[in-house]
Amino acid sequence: MATVEYRNIAKNFGHVEVMKDVSFGIADREFVVLLGPSGCGKTTLLRMTAGLESVTNGDLLIGDRRVNDVHPRDRDIAMVFQNYALYPTMKVFDNIGFSLEVAKVPKAEIRKKVEWAAEILNLTPYLGRYPKELSGGQRQRVAMGRAMVRNAAVFLFDEPLSNLDAKLRTHMRVEIRQLHNRLGTTTIYVTHDQIEAMTMADKIVLMHAGRIMQIGTPDEVYERPNSKYVADFIGSPSMNFIAGAVETAGGSPHFVAEGVSIGLSPEIKAKPGQKVIMGVRPHDLGISDAGEIKGEVVLSETTGADVQIHLRVAGYDAVAVVPRDERRNAGAAINLSVLPGKVHLFDAATELRVA
Amino acid sequence: MNGSFSTRMLRTIAAWVVVAVFFFPIYYWTSVAFKHGNDIFNRPPKLIAFTPTFDNFQKVFGISLGSGGITVTPGGGNFYMAPRVWDSIVIATLSTVLAVAIATLAAYALSRMNFRGRHSFVGWVLSTRMMPPVAVAVPMFFIYKNFGLIDTYTGMVLIHALMNLPLAVLLMKSFFDDIPSEIDESAIVDGASRFMIFRRIVLPMAKGGIAATAVLCFIFSWTEFLFALTLTTTSVKTVPVVSSTFVTSIGTAWGNMAALGAASIIPAFIFILLVQKHLVRGLTMGSLKQ
Repeated sequence: MATVEYRNIAKNFGHVEVMKDVSFGIADREFVVLLGPSGCGKTTLLRMTAGLESVTNGDLLIGDRRVNDVHPRDRDIAMVFQNYALYPTMKVFDNIGFSLEVAKVPKAEIRKKVEWAAEILNLTPYLGRYPKELSGGQRQRVAMGRAMVRNAAVFLFDEPLSNLDAKLRTHMRVEIRQLHNRLGTTTIYVTHDQIEAMTMADKIVLMHAGRIMQIGTPDEVYERPNSKYVADFIGSPSMNFIAGAVETAGGSPHFVAEGVSIGLSPEIKAKPGQKVIMGVRPHDLGISDAGEIKGEVVLSETTGADVQIHLRVAGYDAVAVVPRDERRNAGAAINLSVLPGKVHLFDAATELRVA
Repeated sequence: MNGSFSTRMLRTIAAWVVVAVFFFPIYYWTSVAFKHGNDIFNRPPKLIAFTPTFDNFQKVFGISLGSGGITVTPGGGNFYMAPRVWDSIVIATLSTVLAVAIATLAAYALSRMNFRGRHSFVGWVLSTRMMPPVAVAVPMFFIYKNFGLIDTYTGMVLIHALMNLPLAVLLMKSFFDDIPSEIDESAIVDGASRFMIFRRIVLPMAKGGIAATAVLCFIFSWTEFLFALTLTTTSVKTVPVVSSTFVTSIGTAWGNMAALGAASIIPAFIFILLVQKHLVRGLTMGSLKQ
């Protein structure tokens, strides 16, 4: 078990700077998800942690040890790759036990450990098979078994579920999280899928263009995104945004845009006249005749329990998620109100959170 | 895919026609090896109706078919070629092993490791095949003469391996490039050393590539003529070189030449049979999600 710490990490590929001044810490036994779009640097950061990429600048600590120049095999980490990277010429047993064999662990002990991992991962009947004889989910579990037997201090997962179909992905998500609860190994998990991040993480590190945008628990990142970028990235469907300004009306602050006027909490930090972008999550909109937001229904999509209503509001596209019995037909006029305390305001220039 | 009966029939016939076109010269050449001198020049040629004889093989290989079965009488004569076939086998096999061994190591390094000039390296390797071999035949002769390599197995093995290396390296590199680097990385994290990764993981995966490369190297060496002619004199000679000696001042011994040619297909054929089961194999074989 171990902590991981990044201190002012920078990474250049040739003359291209892909990461700059990344600093954060991961507590022992924590499940941290590095989340972001492709090219944001999350996989690079993970590969630097594994030792597969060099660190251009800064300090990388696993436990109390600076590991910048430590060989991957001596970092006490185990890694699961996106495409599993199983050894095709070895059977499942040898795939799982390879790291132990390399470390010259006695045969009996290898057998014990491999069987232990196989038991947990439901792979016992497949130990004598080759990877090509397994399904996608089974291969994924073999890759996890390989990591498990090593007794590593840190597990690194590089988008391990992105090659699985939707149903299996949901299933494996639960399995990985249960495995973590059982083993308690510090885990760094890279994904671009915000639902994976929200469901699995103790802590989300949201990255964009080689920088950290926000660090927090899933609730914090969802409830109080610190920038428009984070607000937009987290949540499905994504947050609705309308540009406008803060104005004082009747002694209390209001968000005002064309055809929209929403009362804000009096403690708001925004100054009157400040240009802002208002964000409201689709789930935080409700249909009400007295609603401050007037729009026109473009399309209703039933997703199961809910209906996603796509609308035009003040020249913007917006989405509201309402219970299925409240669906509206295209072309209907609709009034929506925002649930109390669910308005997010971002400065129009900096796009950082004001309230 | 299967189509109607007539389509399938047509496809089968077309396939057999193609096979026949390619097989006919081999059949004709082999039949010449079993003909008496008179039958060889018959017009129209006797394709099937000729009296077979073993004389040509007896003269070239010292093998005769008598009442007591096959008897081998190694023995003299200018046209006794059995040792030359042996020379060819030794040279082709050893040069193939040497070329494949070096090419595999070099190609793995080129495919996986970062070093200065790595990208231009491939161009340099290939450039050695850009000039016609005959341009270096004379310099090679003098180099070989000074090193005492003329007319030796060592010399022939070296030159054939040398000539095969560029293509073998490129070929092997493309096979290694197809093996995802994540597999190497996974093994690195697992604690394996570079050489261990190469030996235990990458090499077994590249079996198909090695087989294909070996086949090409073997066939090249088996049929190479120029250097086999210029760098040997009497003690080491390969089949292509001695084939030319059947053309003499008093005429060409077609029957004997055909016997040697037909027989020399056999070792190459056996070699290819041995490696062909590795030739067409899925490369990554389920290690990755495709």
